[in-house]
Amino acid sequence: MEEHVGLWWHQLLTRMAGQKGHGGSVALDPMRGELGLLFRALGGAHGLKVDATAGTRHGARRSVIERMAGVRAKVELAGVDAQALRLPGLADAYATVELNQALYRWQTALCAVVPEHGSWVTRNQQGTMHLLENYRGLAASYWQLVQAELQRRPDPATLPPAEAQAERSIRQALRHPDSAVTLIPGARAPEPVLLWLAPDARGAMGVARSQAMEPDEATRAGSSKQQDEKRRVAEDADMPERPGGLMMFRPESIFSWSEYAKVQHDVQENEEEDLARAADDLDTLSVSADQRPVARALRMNLDHAAREETGPTSAEPAILLPEWDYKRQVLLPAHCSVRISSMPDAPARALPERLRQEQRRLHHQLAMLAPERQVRRRQSHGDEIDLDALIRARTDSGSDQQDCYQQVRRNQRDLSCLLLADLSLSTDAAISEKLRVIDVIRDSLSLFAESLSDTRDRFALYGFSSRQRHAVNMVELKHFDEPFNARIRGRIEQIKPAFYTRMGAAVRQSSALLAKEKSRERLLLILTDGKPNDNDYYEGRYGIEDTRYALSEARKQGLRPFCVTVDQTAEDYLPHIFGKHSFTIVKRPAELPRRLALLYAQLTR
Amino acid sequence: MTLLSLHKPHASDIPAYVAVDQEVEVFQMAWRSHLPVLLKGPTGCGKTRFVEHMAARLKRPLFTVSCHDDLSAADLVGRHLIGADGTYWVDGPLTQAVRQGGICYLDEIVEARKDTTVVLHSLSDDRRILPIDRLGLVLEAPPEFMLVVSYNPGYQHLMKALKPSTRQRFVSLAFDFPDAALEQQIVVGETGIASALAKQLVTLARALRQTADHDLEEAPGTRLLVDVARLIVQGCNPQLACRVGMIECVTDDPEMVRALMQVVQAILGD
Repeated sequence: MEEHVGLWWHQLLTRMAGQKGHGGSVALDPMRGELGLLFRALGGAHGLKVDATAGTRHGARRSVIERMAGVRAKVELAGVDAQALRLPGLADAYATVELNQALYRWQTALCAVVPEHGSWVTRNQQGTMHLLENYRGLAASYWQLVQAELQRRPDPATLPPAEAQAERSIRQALRHPDSAVTLIPGARAPEPVLLWLAPDARGAMGVARSQAMEPDEATRAGSSKQQDEKRRVAEDADMPERPGGLMMFRPESIFSWSEYAKVQHDVQENEEEDLARAADDLDTLSVSADQRPVARALRMNLDHAAREETGPTSAEPAILLPEWDYKRQVLLPAHCSVRISSMPDAPARALPERLRQEQRRLHHQLAMLAPERQVRRRQSHGDEIDLDALIRARTDSGSDQQDCYQQVRRNQRDLSCLLLADLSLSTDAAISEKLRVIDVIRDSLSLFAESLSDTRDRFALYGFSSRQRHAVNMVELKHFDEPFNARIRGRIEQIKPAFYTRMGAAVRQSSALLAKEKSRERLLLILTDGKPNDNDYYEGRYGIEDTRYALSEARKQGLRPFCVTVDQTAEDYLPHIFGKHSFTIVKRPAELPRRLALLYAQLTR
Repeated sequence: MTLLSLHKPHASDIPAYVAVDQEVEVFQMAWRSHLPVLLKGPTGCGKTRFVEHMAARLKRPLFTVSCHDDLSAADLVGRHLIGADGTYWVDGPLTQAVRQGGICYLDEIVEARKDTTVVLHSLSDDRRILPIDRLGLVLEAPPEFMLVVSYNPGYQHLMKALKPSTRQRFVSLAFDFPDAALEQQIVVGETGIASALAKQLVTLARALRQTADHDLEEAPGTRLLVDVARLIVQGCNPQLACRVGMIECVTDDPEMVRALMQVVQAILGD
């Protein structure tokens, strides 16, 4: 009974506080693509994602009803940081769909042009002025948005003097973005300004740390149940050393948490929905590292400071390679150690039965690609006259006089190809009940190798995984001078996924190997299922920028990098890493083996 | 088929071209020194117009060949055709340019097959000869002859880049989109559109260029901008003109068209 009354009471208050949807709300998701494009078009940085922002406590005055209902304590404001353009997950502050869409576009545009330095008000005013002066369409919608925003804001007459003063200043700054306005800090924060970016430059109010932490690979591999794209503010906390503790953990108890209690606990994986909802209610999630993949069911994006690296894991001498630090814009020399291991013990194998039919089909398709001289006779036009056809045409009156030319095509190809396959743990993820990503990658390697030996091009096969910068492992399946045979088929059959994806280092080492080739065309094909990532600071934008740098160096050496990915959601960053023309996404991983060989046919046409 | 346009110059009709740097002087010096020239830069930034302008200025006939996948050496040099009385030879544009002491302009040279461009080697070094095997003939290029090729480094087709050895035979002039003020001036000059509107179009083009390589395959060039301005001068609604003259030209993806039209809307307004 109490439950029913409580629920009824909550619904009544929520309705009174005006939290019910009014039909004019707009979700971020369907607008993501458009807003990302607008952001880049107006000069925003490339390679940033468009993401939902974390709600932050604004501390502004709320009505009694709002406070009783426990609503409107947080606000979602737009902002941009090193990883993403962050926008509210839902825009519903204004009455119409048009106004809320316009708000999204305005926030996006402002994020693209707002100056980095200056006070909160000045930065927003300067950005606003820039947009008003240069973009007529945005200017028109700005004045409509200002009207709506002013209507939404509290009337200064109803506020205590200090707050009224601040409110008047904000209204003045909105109406006249070119006028000088200073905001005297009062005891209470002013009502958030939706047309402006969040006060803190990093995107979230009052939270300095907002670097993204991607879930580690083991977590990603296991999480197919839930994809929760919402960002949450996170803080670091140490894992308690002693197991157990006084507090028994039940997921529903998270409702009552607002502070982290330093107790080790087990999460019951079947209650992920409750967890996600509960996580929304927390201001800050405390995260600590332990060795067990308990977080599988709950995949979240956290605004979280990157963890520091924990030192070397391998003392063996290895190849030292640099790494690009985009934050400092320097190339760190001899920063990564790469070790190349071979598989001497792999037993010789024939091509697996399951691939035989596919291989035969590809063989026929690729046979045409083998370098040779082709003469096409009896053409309607061509480089030379086909004398046979001409004589026959002249002597045999029934024959067609037109097709008396011949085309000569020399398919001279001088090509070396290095295939670099991602063998990180994320490839252990299941695609279907029987198939994992790694199985697809293995079959791709097999069929690709068969195809390449058909076309008689020089090729090498490598796989890679990493465990921080001192342990980047490359597995040599076949080097350029090795003939393709049953032993190599055996090695391919034995590959196993491990650890992480430090792609920059693997690309550099592969480039070095490929650069030694004398061929006219040198193709570096990268086969991966996700973005660069390692379990130190090498994640998010850092890994992306390092890989991008490694690839541009490869291009400067005259190599042609190309990426094939099975990551379905990778479109955000792939053009930034590889360039618009240098990657392809295979939507259905099971098609990868065949697509790869056909792609090769197209690439080397 | 080969696209061939023969531009016969008269003193009066020198195509308008606004010089950005010293490219006019360099081109003249290269011509006098019998050096071939490579023009590189994005599509629609004025490379072709520049060559037309220079040919007219130097009073040389211009032979323009748009290169493509199927272009063969015979398409450049010439071939035997079958007539009523037997076969006869027809010169290709390159041979014509050599014989007439003209300028042969190979547009987008990277699009041509590698075995096609081999015939250019002996013409682009100091030998300046064109061997025609099928006629058993070696043509020596007169001093007035000039070879000009263009190449778009941004247009990265995986296997299509110019070989370093080919590139090093040419004097290279790098082109880029003109700065905003100059581009506005060019659009106004070519079409007579109102200056304020031209400014907005230039802002739009520059915004789209920011997204090139990430969202778009290719940035809209000045040429597209001029086309849009022409439509507007004809009375076309500016938004519509931008859609048909620019947006639909840079992408075929309906989703992308919609998103780009939002950018148009943001910049031009209603």
